[in-house]
Amino acid sequence: MPRKQFEANVRYRPGGVAMIDLNGEIDGFAKETLAAAYGEAEKGKPEAILLDFEGVDYINSTGIALIVGLLARARASKRRLLACGLSEHYAEIFEITRLSDFVGVFPDEESALARVANS
Amino acid sequence: MSDTGGESAHRTLADFTLPSEPGNEREAMEIVAGAVRDLDLPPARLEKLKTAVSEATINAMEHGNKYRPEAPAAIKVVASTKELSVLITDRGGGPIPAPGAEAPDLEARLEGRESPRGWGLFLIRNMVDEMNVTTSEDRHTIELVLRLKGDDDATETV
Repeated sequence: MPRKQFEANVRYRPGGVAMIDLNGEIDGFAKETLAAAYGEAEKGKPEAILLDFEGVDYINSTGIALIVGLLARARASKRRLLACGLSEHYAEIFEITRLSDFVGVFPDEESALARVANS
Repeated sequence: MSDTGGESAHRTLADFTLPSEPGNEREAMEIVAGAVRDLDLPPARLEKLKTAVSEATINAMEHGNKYRPEAPAAIKVVASTKELSVLITDRGGGPIPAPGAEAPDLEARLEGRESPRGWGLFLIRNMVDEMNVTTSEDRHTIELVLRLKGDDDATETV
């Protein structure tokens, strides 16, 4: 079965937010790309980093572990980690794993950026 | 199990093996999703089944078969009018974690006191109605069960 190559692109948004657009499958193969994108996003010393899952169609338990790793990095540098664009299924998995207790989950980019701007 | 008629008769919807290689769980998931298409599971229920199959297959390939390509993971999908079972068998002989394993301690993982990995069994347990583990001398089988009648999720509208 051909794999979709995982991609992550960093965009800098107004209000001190770095946004990482995620595309493909978040599993063990995504580790290096995800870590590199997060490192790139950190360079601008943003107040918050927003992960956009709109282009993600698969996350497995290793992918959950990678997201936990990003959250640990964000907490260590006192930076907020946000998520948007999760499907209903993966939003439920964020709740089951309690990731949503620590990661602000929003339906889309606009609502996430509005929350940062108003806080 | 019987493959003949009657209310409780079981039909085999798929029976296949895959080499134990990272990423092959995705193929297992898609094959199972195709095999159960005629059951018309509600979309949310199907997504949960796919995640459970993916995680159980990863466990079989990684922990049971140690990613040895010559030790395939075997997957069988069986349905009756009342329930759907997916049986995932590896060639491992070691211990398998108990199905009732506690929820992972996220705080401990964020603070580096525990490995960030190890979500698989917890996810499976939350995705299906039953998870049963059978162990013999040289293999484990994890059975994932979805009830097709008699619970709220099973009657969820599409």
